[in-house]
Amino acid sequence: MCYMFLMSYAITTKSLTKQYGDLTALDHFDLSVEQGSIFGLLGPNGAGKTTLIRILTTLMRQTSGEASVGGLDTSSDGRAIRSLIGVVSQENSLDRYLTARENLELHARLHGMEKKLYRKRIDELLELMGLTGRQNDFTDNFSGGMQRRLVVARALLHEPKVLFLDEPTTGLDPQSRRAVWDYIRSIAGKMTIFLTTHYLDEAESLCDRIAIMDHGRLIAEGTTQELKDRLSGGTVYVIEFQENAALYADQLSKMSCVLDINVVGSSVSVGLQQWECLSEVVSALNGAPVRRIALKERTLEEVFISLTGAEVRE
Amino acid sequence: MSLGGSLAIWRRDMQVLQRSIFSELAAVVAYPLTMYLAFGIGMQGYIGLVDGVPYSLFIAPGLITMTAVSAAYNESVWSLWFHRRVQFTIESYRVTPVSVSEIVIAKIFSGFTHGLVKGFVVALVIFAITPFRVEPGFLFSYLALLIPGSALFSCAGIISGTIMDKPETIGKVEAVLVMPLIFMSGLFFPLSSYPEKLLPWVQALPTTALFEGARQALVNGSFPLAYALQVSGMALVCFVAAVWIFRWKMAE
Repeated sequence: MCYMFLMSYAITTKSLTKQYGDLTALDHFDLSVEQGSIFGLLGPNGAGKTTLIRILTTLMRQTSGEASVGGLDTSSDGRAIRSLIGVVSQENSLDRYLTARENLELHARLHGMEKKLYRKRIDELLELMGLTGRQNDFTDNFSGGMQRRLVVARALLHEPKVLFLDEPTTGLDPQSRRAVWDYIRSIAGKMTIFLTTHYLDEAESLCDRIAIMDHGRLIAEGTTQELKDRLSGGTVYVIEFQENAALYADQLSKMSCVLDINVVGSSVSVGLQQWECLSEVVSALNGAPVRRIALKERTLEEVFISLTGAEVRE
Repeated sequence: MSLGGSLAIWRRDMQVLQRSIFSELAAVVAYPLTMYLAFGIGMQGYIGLVDGVPYSLFIAPGLITMTAVSAAYNESVWSLWFHRRVQFTIESYRVTPVSVSEIVIAKIFSGFTHGLVKGFVVALVIFAITPFRVEPGFLFSYLALLIPGSALFSCAGIISGTIMDKPETIGKVEAVLVMPLIFMSGLFFPLSSYPEKLLPWVQALPTTALFEGARQALVNGSFPLAYALQVSGMALVCFVAAVWIFRWKMAE
């Protein structure tokens, strides 16, 4: 286990491939996740995210390639890896015939924890998750948010080094989502967090680095800003004119630093190679009836759609 | 292989059984008791002695054994299916340092324990309301059959619960395979009733060894070694198959 702390990457995959018959779910997938970081994995339905998580959590074997977690090989060190990781799966896998506390006790026993150690740890986690008062209630009687918090508590019980969160906030109300986010932020740095989500605001808000995958391949990776910059190669400004917007748009489109132009009513959206070009644009518009110039923030959703397409996946 | 994971899962199953023991037992006792009253009491005046014993005593060992093995089968099949397909708890076990074999062993032991507990309770009820009595010494021979028999049915339940994804299929397997196997093995009639050509086939069934052996152990006080070995051997084969099939299914 000490070996893990000497390594800079908590998770690595090399040319990882998984095939189901003719279908290639993962196609020579390469990835490195730094220790202590929050890493987000995005992709449309069927992109291969769940397959990747199932291989990394040793629930499934790859067809070819390599994957390691904490420096351990997923195909040969399954048991050792499972003692290092915590997993919050998409499904609510709580045992409805056990109380909240009994669910945690069972998980502690499965990890071979000693009773005196896990009793204290369970008390701490229940307190942290605001579930102390409901610890003796059956989980069936819990709200979706409470169940999710209990699943997160269960995954953290044995103090994992790597935490896998597979769509941890799906189906939660905004308040519960925020509560889960706050908790993830509070544990950031203490362990590596590998997160998949369909909520792009969630990835943007939480993750140090984000990877976007589709058709089993890694198609982009970087910080949120790096991905946004990659989308247009520069910055987009919205210029609102009092009149003749189309005329001024035509004039701007002839400038070399302008990448693209879009006219919507009296507003012209101008994509620039870099923000330094703005002074050149302002000079060109000298005397024009400009009412407002505003920087248009690219969203992660725009990046995602531009890379994976807008069509609905099955 | 450490069995710490198996013990943890078995403890969980026993905790749940303990909570619902009275409602479970009411349901479990009702079926064999109805059979006993209908056949043992209702029919005994017409049937008289079978193999030298009154009909009500002839069927009693089989009913106790049927309760135990049916309970073992039902607990294993439904528990595994529910935890795998509905509650996804098997998935949550599998991301802990517990091996697939440990999960299977835990579920087999849970089914087996359910069988023994429920069989014991039905035996107590039959003892209480009928003249059927057993010498304490006969119980050792009987347990030598009942323990591998319950394990065999528990393993069969694990295999069904692993392979079947739909609950209605599980019900069909029980109706088409499990119950006929139990009823064909001479639970309510002596094997000598079968045509001679069919008899070797019926005698080859592990359920025949189990029910005939149970009757010989409890009624005659003999130790049917060949039957005990046949049931134990079949239980071992079924255990290996259950572990292999579960591992294969989980790797899918």
